[in-house]
Amino acid sequence: MTTLETGRTVGAGIDRVDAPLKVTGAAHYPNDFSIPGMAHAALVGSTVAAGRIRGFDLSQAQAAPGVLTVITHLTAPQLERGPMTLLGGSPPAPLQDDRILHYGQHIAVVVAESAEQARHAARLVRVEYETEKAVLGIDDPRAQIVENPWGLDTDRGDIDAGFGQADVIVEDTYTTPDNTNNPLGLMATLAAWHGDALTVHDSTQWPHNVRTSLAAIFKVPESGVRVLAPFVGGGFGAGLRVWSHVILTVLAARQVKRPVKLVLTRPEMFTSVGHRPNSVQQIKIGATRAGDLVAIEHHGISSVAMEDDDYEPVSFGSAVAYACPNVLTRDRQARLNIPCPGSMRAPAEGQGNFALECAIDDVAHAVGMDPLEFRLRNYAEEHPLSGLPWSSKALRECYTEGAERFGWSRRNPEPGSMRDGRLLIGYGLAGVSYPFYQVPCQARASVRRDGSAHVRSAATDIGTGTYTVMTQLAAELLGLDVSQVRFDLGDSDMPYSPQAGGSGLTGALGNAVHTACRRLVQEFLDVVAGDAGSPLRGCLLDDVTVGDGRIHRVDDPAQGESYADILARHGLEELSADGRSTPPRSEDLGMAPAGAFGAKFVEVRIDPELGLLRVARVVSAIDGGRILNEKTAASQIIGGTVGGISQAMFEETATDAGTGRIANATFGDYLMPVNADVPDMEVLFLGGPDRATAVGTKGVGEIGLVGMAAAIGNAVFHATGRRIRSLPFTIDQLML
Amino acid sequence: MKHAETETRLSGQSPPEPPRVDITLNVNGTSYSLRVDARVTLLDALRDHLGLTGAKKGCDQGACGACTVMVDGKRVVSCLGLAAQYQGREITTIEGLSADGELHPMQAAFAKHDAFQCGYCTPGQIMSAVCLIKERRAETDEDIREFMSGNICRCGAYPNIRAAIREVAGEG
Repeated sequence: MTTLETGRTVGAGIDRVDAPLKVTGAAHYPNDFSIPGMAHAALVGSTVAAGRIRGFDLSQAQAAPGVLTVITHLTAPQLERGPMTLLGGSPPAPLQDDRILHYGQHIAVVVAESAEQARHAARLVRVEYETEKAVLGIDDPRAQIVENPWGLDTDRGDIDAGFGQADVIVEDTYTTPDNTNNPLGLMATLAAWHGDALTVHDSTQWPHNVRTSLAAIFKVPESGVRVLAPFVGGGFGAGLRVWSHVILTVLAARQVKRPVKLVLTRPEMFTSVGHRPNSVQQIKIGATRAGDLVAIEHHGISSVAMEDDDYEPVSFGSAVAYACPNVLTRDRQARLNIPCPGSMRAPAEGQGNFALECAIDDVAHAVGMDPLEFRLRNYAEEHPLSGLPWSSKALRECYTEGAERFGWSRRNPEPGSMRDGRLLIGYGLAGVSYPFYQVPCQARASVRRDGSAHVRSAATDIGTGTYTVMTQLAAELLGLDVSQVRFDLGDSDMPYSPQAGGSGLTGALGNAVHTACRRLVQEFLDVVAGDAGSPLRGCLLDDVTVGDGRIHRVDDPAQGESYADILARHGLEELSADGRSTPPRSEDLGMAPAGAFGAKFVEVRIDPELGLLRVARVVSAIDGGRILNEKTAASQIIGGTVGGISQAMFEETATDAGTGRIANATFGDYLMPVNADVPDMEVLFLGGPDRATAVGTKGVGEIGLVGMAAAIGNAVFHATGRRIRSLPFTIDQLML
Repeated sequence: MKHAETETRLSGQSPPEPPRVDITLNVNGTSYSLRVDARVTLLDALRDHLGLTGAKKGCDQGACGACTVMVDGKRVVSCLGLAAQYQGREITTIEGLSADGELHPMQAAFAKHDAFQCGYCTPGQIMSAVCLIKERRAETDEDIREFMSGNICRCGAYPNIRAAIREVAGEG
């Protein structure tokens, strides 16, 4: 049902429409805003991970210069926990009792005239704790275990019978550490009350969720709450929820009856806005000597906070990746005294794919088959759970064309056989089947008397290119030049948009924009339906097309007129139309809606004496459905790939086993790739428009990350013969 | 011992009002006179007192480079110095890089090569890149990679950042 014709505007790698603002410093992020008379807030975080607050000594803090108030659980009002959302429950409301559930838990907020005064006074708050022994390890027998948290456990065929048929069985344990999202933008909230109305600038990926949540928590009408986020300094999932600091800023503003601004410090970013939780995974794969998969069993356990939820079904991806008759996947969570985990770019997939795709390589090695050939042999032509055809799947082309571009055929299969001087060379690959995700979305489109269009939706552009690709899409659908279209977002007063997350926004929003623009053309046809002076009189939507700022008949392009002429002749300033999208359903389509697919090819170089690992080359071959802008889409894949290199080789949030303190909560201590760590890389887009939706896109924000850890791990194995099953790959594991 | 000292200090009188200082900053060719808390960093002075929010705060610890500005022609992480230290120096921020609405070649190259995504690190990357060329450290890819490594891009635009810098360096 793809109805978008291949166009002149869509797909072209035009520069970002917001580039002029971003390169001149004129793009305003939430912490760039100020309001006259605003006060500043600073947080006090718990220095223990479990226990109770016996008492505070606030005398120093309250007496410090400029301090307006110090709010603790003893003085905070009762606050409702935020509502259930599309992504699960809201985080617990802050300052509601004396219990400490994790290190860094916000236990007081200080409000002062200046940020310096607030920060200083926050350090003067004295706290007496009754400390308990924190539960910090997934393997701690005291940890409460949540079985099958999302109801996504799968079981097909007969797993025991499957292993019974196997000639080769590989069984190993993989571990992945905590990672911290760390968008570069320090998350900030600026809240201003006007009676019961509230305006909030916030570093969110989902303005409507902030609006709905704050209205519920503070018991005010939702219509009076406005949330603004025209630019956000990255998110990677950290901005998906209404975290404690947002609520505390709004509370502080209400208490001091002034606008209040709070900017998280970088250390607070490690404990306040989620993180990718660690995982322990057991994976067991059986295959025949001929190279056919006969059984996959994958068990994953992740950490989760004591009283919060997180979506991390790490094993689920193994149920849909390959054609294999017998598959069992199980997920569990262990409740610990840790800051609330949350989605981080490619949640669950980023962890689970590492175990699966390393183990697949081990099986291929065990049966003596090239890992690429092994994957093609076990290719899932249909969706393995439903048996339905995919709405699109060009993973085979990703494997074959990616391999061609990479030069996979030059790979000597013998581990340790390829060298460049004293450096060992390894080639590795991984396959990725990213899950489909889409939720309802709305947009509004208008064309004005001057012939320009204005399209908007309360979405966010966290760097993905939403401003740009939606401008292109609307221009295509209305037959306008990109310069005549303005797309606005980041304001909860605009039509409802879901979060920028789950690789789902481009599909949801693109199809809402598609509907809005089609309806807008219909609005113009309605206006001229009885207009004897219009060459479009009596036309149906299917009779016409658009181009050069005008609507014209399909069968006779000369018969048409411009938007501007129609509006002028009818004395109208503008016409508008609303559009909404709903996710496609497999029962309607007779197909399984597909997410993106990809194949990652990596060359590593290892200094065996020093244990130094470098990624030398990466080819990412991606089936992202219709690509709306080849430049910004490639940037998504490049950025995701860098995130994957980071997961594989750098990132590990270190929690002190005794205290629960994050031991490396600064950019000096928490390793992330810098420019010198990242090679130039190639991105290929393969496949075509997906058949599940009108626009035919598939989200590409997360897939670039997935597969990198496994591809690098497989390359390390190829280079050294050593299989490393614990992320990140550190020097101590690589010294030969 | 250290702990006991802290307690003693805290149990004494309220801390004194921090001194405020009168300073003059020369930013983007304009002289500004300010009275600020002596603890105000150059970055916070630019952002919170002069309204020049182009320089960004990503860590406040000198580790990310988002706050990079040019001082007397050299790149400086503005979060690591107090505003009062920068009197009499010529400070250039991203807002002062181009004149008359024309983009500086580095700004244009960043746009062309999609050398950013969220854009938060971009002002710092661009200021750093402009200085890199002045330092004659943009002549090889190895140098660009090494000497741009003080500017973190969490979105991962590094290959495109290098492409933008290569283009401008090649033109120079």
